Amino acid sequence: MRWDWVTTHLDDIGAATREHVVFTVVATLIGLAISFPLALVARRWRWLAAPVLSTAGILYTIPSLALFGLLTPWTGLSRTTAVIGLVTYTLLILTRNIVIGLDGVAPEVREAAAGMGFGPARRLFRIELPLALPVIVAGIRVAVVTTIGLVTVTAYIGQGGLGRLILDGLTRDFRTPLVVGALLSVALAVVADVGLAALQRRLTPWGRDQ
Amino acid sequence: MNFWSGVVEWFTSASSWEGNAGAVHRLYEHVAMSGASMLVAAALALPLGIWLGHTGRGGAIAINASNVGRAVPSFAILVLAAQVWGIGWKPAFFALVALAVPPMVTNAYVGLQGVDAEVREAARGMGMTGAQSLWRVELPVAMPVVVGGVRTAAVQVVATATLAALVAWGGLGRFIVDGTAQRDFVQVFAGAVLVAALAIVTELALAGLQRLVVPAPLRRRRPARERREPFVGLAADPQPS
Amino acid sequence: MRVRTSRPRRLAVPVVALLALAMGAAACGDGDDSSGGSSAKGSLTIGAFNFTESAVLSELYAGALRSEGYTVTIRPNLGSREVVSPALERGELDLYIGYAATDLEHYNNAAGEASADARATAERLRSRLESRGLTALEPSPAVDQNAFAVTRATADRFGLRRLSDLAPVAGQLSLGGPPECPTRPFCAPGLESKYGIRFREFKAVGLGAVANNALERGDVDVTLILSTDGGARARGFVILEDDRQLQNADNIIPVIRTQAATSEVRTILNRVSAALTTEELAELNRRVDDDKADPDAVARDWLRENGFTD
Repeated sequence: MRWDWVTTHLDDIGAATREHVVFTVVATLIGLAISFPLALVARRWRWLAAPVLSTAGILYTIPSLALFGLLTPWTGLSRTTAVIGLVTYTLLILTRNIVIGLDGVAPEVREAAAGMGFGPARRLFRIELPLALPVIVAGIRVAVVTTIGLVTVTAYIGQGGLGRLILDGLTRDFRTPLVVGALLSVALAVVADVGLAALQRRLTPWGRDQ
Repeated sequence: MNFWSGVVEWFTSASSWEGNAGAVHRLYEHVAMSGASMLVAAALALPLGIWLGHTGRGGAIAINASNVGRAVPSFAILVLAAQVWGIGWKPAFFALVALAVPPMVTNAYVGLQGVDAEVREAARGMGMTGAQSLWRVELPVAMPVVVGGVRTAAVQVVATATLAALVAWGGLGRFIVDGTAQRDFVQVFAGAVLVAALAIVTELALAGLQRLVVPAPLRRRRPARERREPFVGLAADPQPS
Repeated sequence: MRVRTSRPRRLAVPVVALLALAMGAAACGDGDDSSGGSSAKGSLTIGAFNFTESAVLSELYAGALRSEGYTVTIRPNLGSREVVSPALERGELDLYIGYAATDLEHYNNAAGEASADARATAERLRSRLESRGLTALEPSPAVDQNAFAVTRATADRFGLRRLSDLAPVAGQLSLGGPPECPTRPFCAPGLESKYGIRFREFKAVGLGAVANNALERGDVDVTLILSTDGGARARGFVILEDDRQLQNADNIIPVIRTQAATSEVRTILNRVSAALTTEELAELNRRVDDDKADPDAVARDWLRENGFTD
């Protein structure tokens, strides 16, 4: 381990970390943007729920290396390819948790809201979503942490965030960038997990477990 | 020859399956590695988790173990393991064991803790010692949740073993890594299909086992919402590979 | 009935603000795909393979271009030629630094046109590239070919000095190399067709220091190395002589999109090629692989010593 390398490459490390965070945030946001309507569709037409979740589930089992590799002839060694792959892996968790969260709202609450004259849209946004938020945030937490891990793999298609440091270390047989990249990606994931867990707890003021 | 006919041809030609680089051998490597690491991980995780759950100690650690474990990027663990153990099967094995332990510890703990206090008291009331209560009453009741942890760990291991091909190991990931390097997308796709199939089979088999270990007296039809997998606080979500 | 929406609502605003900030950062993020600022002379993107020498070469040529006012972005560790070449054809890259004979056999689907004559090989390469909107510049006198190495112990045990010595014993040995070796004409298939060498097994250990480690540890018995690999020599490996001339003129040669190859760009790149020697390249590689120096640092030194920069 060469600590002098670390001190002379702080800007590289910083850039890699920034790239890692940006990929994670962008992929999670796009994942939410897609999962939310998907979840609504799956709830409205219940028979669609199984196929939607199964498809997302099957996509989830495709090894990420394969998915990224198979996309490259179409979308190149680009950020687009990375984001498409990353978003795909968030869909199962987010869609499922949004469905479960919304389902978890007690029917009495929904009826009361309807009784108070809330239309379906208002009911959704002002009553059901806020109540479902803890479960949804739990899903976001898993999605974010999973994505952080997958971003490291995108190093193999010319992207990578902290994965670039890992790949550089692997290629050159140079332990320092490899260890720095690996440890930082672990740290990033743990920090995100702890932070989102805290958010999740704050959103359950009525003291639900976890 | 277009892509899809290439895929069909790959799956239907004997050369894809035979030999040291063939799918059968790779499948065997993959299953053997997954099985071996699961066995070792279970031998470490289950006694620990069960004991913690039975005695009620170390709850915070046990519950957070799976959260932290799930958070850790598997590729990062793999390359760190390769720094210690070189390339080949060793880093794969140790990394997979490390990844499989947390969900099994958490689920064993939660499962044991989830046994009704009344049931435990009844067992004591019947004159059972702590150990007897554990073996004859608590474990059987907790089994489904414990097996749930094994299931999550197993699927995660099968998926992550794919990445080990990046540190010169074999397994089904070989098709994906080599295919990517050689630009042979048929091979990449075939490898992906095989891994996905293996993961799904593993998941279904252990889900079946999970249903089987529900003690007979407790088997009853539960309403749909309850039957859905608990996701909060339990290790129910494996990482994609 | 008052539903508790206030707390989540209050959190929503800062959360949304944070997300918006992140999206903004992403949208105008500099990331890796730009080296900051543009210049009047224009910009080029160089793609590098996933081994040390490619990073070094990319930095050499990039440095020369930059000193003449070009903006150059290097995309390192992209992968093998099988990955980089399509990226070049797609326009994601402007050029890569290739190897004449291997590149020729890549673009002609292993038709066997490469020879030991660098000029002729480069000419044939150019003709093969034309239809793809690419061209190749002048070949450098610096050469880096595939070679195969064993440890001294293995060489003594089996009496190995030349590649043809391997043929009778290869069935007991394992070969190490990058994942594309089993399909490359100058790698495993070439060994088989030219020398009748069939190994017991192949392990994708990679190329460069990683593969050399594997050879030293005994994970593989024979490994592919690049002939400019200083580390292999330093470790005392025996490099088997290519007595039947499997390898050909793998002179360093830039492969570039015709559109990007303006006359000034050509002049600059050709100057670098002409000035580079095999020994210098090997030394640069060694400094990066063994001393863990940065490719751009060693490139800067070479460029200064050779009058490309001050």
